[in-house]
Amino acid sequence: MRSKITKIAATLLLLQLAGCANLGVQPWERDLLAKDEMALDSEGNDLGLDDHIYFSKEGTSGGRAFAGGGCGCN
Amino acid sequence: MAVGRLQVAVVDAIKADQVRSKHMKKTTNIGAALATATCALLHPYASANDILEDWQVDTSLMYYGETDRVKAVEAVVAGKKDFGDEHIFSGKLVIDTLTGASATGAAAQATAQTVSRPSGKGSYTVTPGATPLDDTFKDTRVQVDGQWTQPWSDVSRITTGLHFSTEHDYFSVGFNGSYAHDFYNKNTTVAAGLAYSYDVIKPEGGLPVPFAIKTAATGSSENYDDDDGYDDDDDDGNFSSDERLGDSDNKSTVDVLFGLTQIINRRMLMQFNLGVSQISGYSTDPYKVLSIVNDQGLTQNLVYEKRPDSRTKTFAFWQTKYAMNFGAADFSYRFAADDWKVDSHTFDTRLRINLTDKTYLQPHFRYYSQSAAEFFQPFLIDGQALPEFATADYRLGEMTAYTLGLKYGMELDNGDELSFRVEYYQQSPKNAGFSEPGSLQDVDLYPSVKAVIAQVNYRF
Amino acid sequence: MTNITRQAPFAIEHKGDHYCGRFCAMASPCELLIDTHDAVLASELITIAQAEVSRIEHKFSRYRRDNWMHRLNHGEGQPVDIDDETYRLLQFANTCFDLSDGMFDLTSGVLRRAWNFNGSDQLPTQQLVDKLLPLIGWQKVVFNPTELILPKGMELDFGGIGKEYAVDCVAKLCTQHAPKVSVVVNFGGDIQVTRPRNKNQFWHIGIESLKDEHLTAQIIKIKAGGLATSGDARRYLLKYGVRYSHILNPRTGYPVVSAPRSITVAASHCIQAGLLATLALLQGQEAENFLINQQVKHWCYR
Repeated sequence: MRSKITKIAATLLLLQLAGCANLGVQPWERDLLAKDEMALDSEGNDLGLDDHIYFSKEGTSGGRAFAGGGCGCN
Repeated sequence: MAVGRLQVAVVDAIKADQVRSKHMKKTTNIGAALATATCALLHPYASANDILEDWQVDTSLMYYGETDRVKAVEAVVAGKKDFGDEHIFSGKLVIDTLTGASATGAAAQATAQTVSRPSGKGSYTVTPGATPLDDTFKDTRVQVDGQWTQPWSDVSRITTGLHFSTEHDYFSVGFNGSYAHDFYNKNTTVAAGLAYSYDVIKPEGGLPVPFAIKTAATGSSENYDDDDGYDDDDDDGNFSSDERLGDSDNKSTVDVLFGLTQIINRRMLMQFNLGVSQISGYSTDPYKVLSIVNDQGLTQNLVYEKRPDSRTKTFAFWQTKYAMNFGAADFSYRFAADDWKVDSHTFDTRLRINLTDKTYLQPHFRYYSQSAAEFFQPFLIDGQALPEFATADYRLGEMTAYTLGLKYGMELDNGDELSFRVEYYQQSPKNAGFSEPGSLQDVDLYPSVKAVIAQVNYRF
Repeated sequence: MTNITRQAPFAIEHKGDHYCGRFCAMASPCELLIDTHDAVLASELITIAQAEVSRIEHKFSRYRRDNWMHRLNHGEGQPVDIDDETYRLLQFANTCFDLSDGMFDLTSGVLRRAWNFNGSDQLPTQQLVDKLLPLIGWQKVVFNPTELILPKGMELDFGGIGKEYAVDCVAKLCTQHAPKVSVVVNFGGDIQVTRPRNKNQFWHIGIESLKDEHLTAQIIKIKAGGLATSGDARRYLLKYGVRYSHILNPRTGYPVVSAPRSITVAASHCIQAGLLATLALLQGQEAENFLINQQVKHWCYR
């Protein structure tokens, strides 16, 4: 099951990189993307606090960045 | 004659001008008045924040409260400063305190139970039908993180970070490093990173022996003492701690992460992350137990749990952000799988709605589902051989959870941002296929956990 | 659907240690100098600048037929709704009217119906000027934070401060978008520098000036702040050896006489510098004294 996921993911990644050349915008088209709410880390504190809650209350953690950084949350 | 009249007009004009200029000299500091007027025109909401000028500071205070269970208060101060030329330092300080009760893993019973505390000092009674909770988790934790980013070349940058967390029974220290490279005019960014973390667990009362009986656990309804002179129910409080393996143990975690960020078009960007983690060391929860029940469903003993000492986790994460005219939409999906057989799906979406230039509303919905760990058992059956690993911790069992939240943010006159967030989080553990003997059928072995989150943020 | 008008593309050039972006707007060559090696950032800033200038031009230009200005200037004297930005500009113009004892007057634009400064000797008749005088007078304009009332026949003309205001607005946006990057906003000689350059260097900017009847470029070293030039280098009338500057006295309807040919002033903001230069020109003969009294850095050419 896990190796199947890895294979699918790797294929997607390679396809993605190859297709990347055709995607994207010119520098002068970045007006909307430059908005605060479009930044991936625009709500750093919220995301960090949520991650901590879900790390303590659920069986999986991580995804946006590193899964590391432990605590003995019970 | 036209010319004559013009010349007269011009002379008049000169005279008028001279009168004007004499008048103006009386108005001494036109410059200052003009400067003030310019300020009012260009900077109607000027910020007087000079001291922390180049730092961007985000502070948060959060309350998390489960009905009848754990309550936590967490305070975060995060600061970020650009030292020029894209050399950026960001640091974070987190302090949280935990109070209230947590599920121990013991099964609910149709009758009252008496359970001892982890320290071995004293016990408490559980009402019939209720899930046994342990309320001695009053803890304060301090966490400090630091991160430094700097350019590696025109189109790439490196990041290194340190992490440190401590509480009375747990200590964690770690470092991480990553490299990011931009392609196609920064439309595509590829990143790779590595993290290592070393944790030390020093549980209250020492490390329990796996599957050892938790002292002074009785299954009977009233305080029970037979005539053998042995204080089975510890009403004298004289029992010493259970047999222990030692004071502390440790655990190492190695994470590897690959990420791809791609701008799709003028309104949309996406991120794909893949990660693998390898954990080795003490992964058991020293405070959790399992109930050993007989064929009537009555608890005979409580024993400590045991989890494998290694875990390999993988995840795939996809996120997309879409700019709308009135705000932005954010949607993400994460699939995770590991060799404990805990597989999970997480859907998370936020919709930012800009009400005005300076205020916004943001509803939030999250759905989570996970499958039970291979070694998850809600209880053990008396007489059957003990499995190699077992846990009744519902957080490793089958469950779904959802979060519904709303955030309101506003920009103040001085440019700072204030926001409020309220969320409702409900977990619904499910029966992963275990049949319940006897009286266990009359109790809810999988109660929902409901929590409310309230948070206030201030950014300046 | 996009709500951003497609702009004519700008030109962008890497010049050794900075980027230079150019486009045309407000009937002037507009230039942005950006102290960075990041081409993407430079492009973003120029895009932002172009969009902002376009917005201001669209909003405050009296040459357009589709903006509120047109409705205002061709109205019957009924109240017109205004927004916060317009209100602030009107308040600024009001302060300037007071500080200049009525010489700086946004309603004096109607005089262009009489005066055409094309370097010829075509002076208007006294009758033509007299007919226009009743249509001038800032004191007749009534406004509050949400409404503006302009009597019928009168006109508002932001031309005197429009370009300097655009420079300051663009500089403000650049500072917000890239607070650590020094940007020079230069719209036809009206300039604002957002902050000193990273290695504390000065920007060296060429200013068109009149020295001995020749148009030359003088190099000015500037670290931060605004610079504005007012003058008649290209707009004047010449009759019987008398040179009539294009700065008109709203009280008389006639040009200010004996004003310097060109004044450049440095102040913390471009619009401030522009106002000081204009106020100085309105002093005619006393221009230099005025500027000395105000203790601002200036260059005067007669």
